[in-house]
Amino acid sequence: MDFPILSAVTFLPLAGAVLIMLVRSLAGSTSEDTVDNRVLYCGVVFSIATFLVSLVMLFGFDRDNPAYQMTEQIDWFSEISYKMGVDGLSVSLILLTTFLTPIALIASLGSIQHRLTEYVVAFLILETFMIGVFCALDLILFYVFFEAGLIPMFIIIGVWGGVDRIYASFKFFLYTLLGSLFMLAAIVYMYLSAGSSDVVILENFEFGTGAQTWLWLAFFASFAVKLPMWPVHTWLPDAHVQAPTAGSVILAGVLLKMGGYGLLRFSLPMFPDASELFQPMVFVLSVIAIVYASLVAWRQTDMKKLIAYSSVAHMGFVTLGIFSFTEIGVQGAVFQMLSHGLISGALFLIVGVVYDRMHTREISAYGGLVSRMPIYASLFMLFTMANVGLPGTSGFVGEILTMVGAFQASTWAAAGAALGVIFSAIYMLTLYRRTVFGEITNPDVDVLKDVNFKELVCLVPLAIGTLLFGVMPNLIFDLTRESSLRVLAMMAGG
Amino acid sequence: MLSDTALLFIVLAPGLAALIAGLFQRFIGDRGAMIITTATVGMAGLLSMIQLFQFTFGGDHGASTAHGAEHAVEHAGAHIVHLMTWIDVGHFKADWAIRVDALSIVMMAVITSVSALVHLYSWGYMSEDPHRARFFSYLSLFTFTMLMLVSADNFIQLFFGWEGVGLVSYLLIGFWYTKPAPNDASIKAFVTNRVGDFGLALGIMAVFLVFGSVEFETVLAAVKHNDVVAPLALAAEGPVRDVMMPFLWMNVPALELIGVLLFIGAMGKSAQFFLHVWLPDAMEGPTPVSALIHAATMVTAGVYLVCLVSPIYEYAPNAAAMIALIGAVTAIYAATVGMAQNDIKRVIAYSTCSQLGYMFFAAGVGAYEAAMFHLFTHAFFKALLFLGAGSVIHGSHHEQDMRRMGGLARLMPLTYAAMLIGTVAIIGLGIPHTTFGFSGFFSKDAIIESAFAAGTAGVSFSQFAFWVGILAALLTSFYSWRLIYMTFHGSRAETHDEAGHDDVADGHDGHGHDHHHEPHESPWVMLVPLAFLSIGAMFAGVTFYDPMFHHGDAFWGEVLYRSADNHVIHDIDKLKYKPEYAWVFWAPLFVTIIGFLIATFTYLFNRGVGKRVADSGGPLHSMFANKWFFDEIYNATLIRGARGLGDVFWKTGDKKIIDGLGPDGVSSLVRWGSRRLSAMHTGYLYHYAFVIIGAALIFGAILFWRMGGAG
Repeated sequence: MDFPILSAVTFLPLAGAVLIMLVRSLAGSTSEDTVDNRVLYCGVVFSIATFLVSLVMLFGFDRDNPAYQMTEQIDWFSEISYKMGVDGLSVSLILLTTFLTPIALIASLGSIQHRLTEYVVAFLILETFMIGVFCALDLILFYVFFEAGLIPMFIIIGVWGGVDRIYASFKFFLYTLLGSLFMLAAIVYMYLSAGSSDVVILENFEFGTGAQTWLWLAFFASFAVKLPMWPVHTWLPDAHVQAPTAGSVILAGVLLKMGGYGLLRFSLPMFPDASELFQPMVFVLSVIAIVYASLVAWRQTDMKKLIAYSSVAHMGFVTLGIFSFTEIGVQGAVFQMLSHGLISGALFLIVGVVYDRMHTREISAYGGLVSRMPIYASLFMLFTMANVGLPGTSGFVGEILTMVGAFQASTWAAAGAALGVIFSAIYMLTLYRRTVFGEITNPDVDVLKDVNFKELVCLVPLAIGTLLFGVMPNLIFDLTRESSLRVLAMMAGG
Repeated sequence: MLSDTALLFIVLAPGLAALIAGLFQRFIGDRGAMIITTATVGMAGLLSMIQLFQFTFGGDHGASTAHGAEHAVEHAGAHIVHLMTWIDVGHFKADWAIRVDALSIVMMAVITSVSALVHLYSWGYMSEDPHRARFFSYLSLFTFTMLMLVSADNFIQLFFGWEGVGLVSYLLIGFWYTKPAPNDASIKAFVTNRVGDFGLALGIMAVFLVFGSVEFETVLAAVKHNDVVAPLALAAEGPVRDVMMPFLWMNVPALELIGVLLFIGAMGKSAQFFLHVWLPDAMEGPTPVSALIHAATMVTAGVYLVCLVSPIYEYAPNAAAMIALIGAVTAIYAATVGMAQNDIKRVIAYSTCSQLGYMFFAAGVGAYEAAMFHLFTHAFFKALLFLGAGSVIHGSHHEQDMRRMGGLARLMPLTYAAMLIGTVAIIGLGIPHTTFGFSGFFSKDAIIESAFAAGTAGVSFSQFAFWVGILAALLTSFYSWRLIYMTFHGSRAETHDEAGHDDVADGHDGHGHDHHHEPHESPWVMLVPLAFLSIGAMFAGVTFYDPMFHHGDAFWGEVLYRSADNHVIHDIDKLKYKPEYAWVFWAPLFVTIIGFLIATFTYLFNRGVGKRVADSGGPLHSMFANKWFFDEIYNATLIRGARGLGDVFWKTGDKKIIDGLGPDGVSSLVRWGSRRLSAMHTGYLYHYAFVIIGAALIFGAILFWRMGGAG
């Protein structure tokens, strides 16, 4: 057996977390409120190491091979095994995770003031679970990672969040758990019928049409909450508003993508008939999400809420693309997930920059930032334009391809989604205008300093990624092509 | 034909200059940024002018020679330099490329030459602005995106340029970002353009669905040859001109659908009726920007797009009719509004809108040559008028209200001369059947004659367009001379009184009242561009009338396509020497003189008349002055509606219904339930005993019944 690179990527952060805890307790933990940035630096080092290992994984990955690669399998109990393996889809999402986690941790430097050890540990554990979700090739294993990820996020919001963090974290937990329970029931049923929880075996197992319908719905309940789709999206704005900046970055950047990943990995290949059956429903929900969330975003007075609703709208494009059942749509959806990970992560960081200085997210407290923070204003403009899908940024490629894909299935869906393109311009430009342009009215804004080195370290890589993938999206398409085609082939083949 | 290196330079160098000026302004300073951008764009301008003249008079149409470029492809008169693959998914393939054909040669010449002059002009106009480096960086960035637009070889790169120029336009309109008005105007411009882009994006999707490609060569060749296409999913296979496809609730001819959707995009970018509302407000930007973006180049992108896909419109008569109708309505609408405006820039903005209307109805009736020819000449005289107006504004210390001007001819003689040249060019002064005339004469009359010729052939809306063209020519002449008289003639004291009586309390800073600041002539850096543009306004028409219009076949080749039934251009020649149609050729001149006379009597000899009409507040005047109330109507319906919907979705949808029934409802239900449950824990033994016995009985009964059933 080769070096288990997937397990290495997955559990390296966990190992880091354990090490940090050990060292802290051996060193005789001081008062819980002591700010010791060394812990955070350790966390950053471990997450960067994870990123490097994931790059090694990328170089070892054969992008022309549609099958799962680098598989590892160890028997666990009964027919359930610890089975890991990746295709292009998982590789791209793992890279997104390992890329965003260090950025999130660096962004926390200075803005998190208490229980730093626990904070870093929570993030590293979360990273392990997130990578595990994308690597797992056993349904039960997937479920374990999928659900376990909830806990650290729940804690991050609940401990380091804002004023209403308890309400938000419970709402987040309840919604996602409720969805997951249906999925668990479905998983048990699938395990009993197919006699295995191996993903590859399940992909080739043909469930009856009736069973497919129920299984599809059960999975969909969970993934729809995660994405989130309308009308189970209301946990997201609350969670984002209360979460610390780094939590929002990971939440929007990676956790939401688990929903899209799940649809592509399980729903389409395993329940093709049901997927076909529910296509109109998903289209309707996607278009509602795009239009509805965009309009709601426009009316927000809280910067983070606005971006959270914008996320709901952008994830609508993902489901639209996936359920177009075309190569263009599916590739576009995957691309949209990655691109949204970069852009929304960056936007939450952008909000974090001024939140750290002013301790308010109210749009009306700002105005005239450009006069004091020109570099910040330029970066904010770049990500604003990326979020409205300007060609040349990665935001465009995902949106146009998912719409082109959807157009082939339903012109209604494509036209509805295209409306979102108008609305996104309205809410983003309004936000930008109210915060960045105009005269300085708040005396606190007058004394603000431009972005510092730490903030540049977080934002510049995201800016580069946004532009690079906007101009050369094939870097990603080449990686995800075979697995997208494989998903569609399994759909067509039944 | 230029070498590939030169082409690459023309298109990419302005982008690079913008990047340097934008990112490194701290190191190179304002002056460095200005020098780099101006020099680069100036070089590009020179090269594209050489290219245009070589192409026009050098006799190497179409059959171009690639200089040592193996990756360059010759295709139906177009020379394509592939730079890089952009998107390649499934059959959806779009490259970064530079495509050069007659259309893009004309556009490149216009863009880079006007841009170079505007760069130079801005040295003077923006000399006191603290953000000059940013300004010049934006100007060059605009030039780059606009060049990407016109040199695209596929719809996606075109869309890149299309939205890119929209972005820079947004940034430049809102250049003075501390003021509310420019901020509002910039958002309005971007969003209105996005409404157009909604159509354009759907049009591109439809193109891909029908043709399985977004590359111009593939798509247009299929239409020209009526190839059999097999649309992906949805529609049935067949010759492309007959293919029907479903769209929303309709089942429509594919080419008609594509034509209409693409035109919606063009309407947004080119400020056509319904989507024109952003253009007048865009005048909040610095005046050089108005000249470059909102007169000469960006707003003509819609006309360019329609001409580019002319094969589609040739086989989509209804879409073409829509273009003719909207174009004609815009031409007359904008002219009526332009008559009643007092802001010097807004008059010219509505004039631009109206002239774009001319170009569109020309294209709509099938005279693409006329549309492109007018686009070409219009760029020069309209940029001249804007830069002239800028010189006036600069000289009179940021005064834009013409009611507070007057008598400037003595103080700014050179600007006055330039504005006069621009005016006689736009009203189209010239003598029919001769080669004496200013640029507008050749191109505008070409459009009016084309509309008439198309009318004799029975093309939809062409007779309407013809009469509109005549009437709008009258109004054009009137409002153009009105501008000249109000600004340059009369005495200054008199106009000050007028303005004083007027009690106009608009946002202008009132600099003009200050007698310590006499208006003065502008510096030479601003006058030199005026001189160059004056040359264009005088001679562009006569020089290019034959190659671009009259004998345009050789120039345009297959690029501007005409179906077998489209004889518009040739019909003009047939009508030309028939005495019964002589009036058609003289009518534009006749109405132009009438417009001139009316303006002269009401605004020169009798300055009070115009003001009395304005003061009387008649319904017609108030309708014109208020732009037919478009802003008010849109605000009351669309904006308010969307805002209300957003509030309802948020406060009722999310908070009351979803959260109320969902998490909050469930949690309060659980809380209520647990209170009731805990209330049951009374502590009395007989309560518990009662429950236990009751439960045992019920379960016993079920068990008994089940066993009985099984037995």
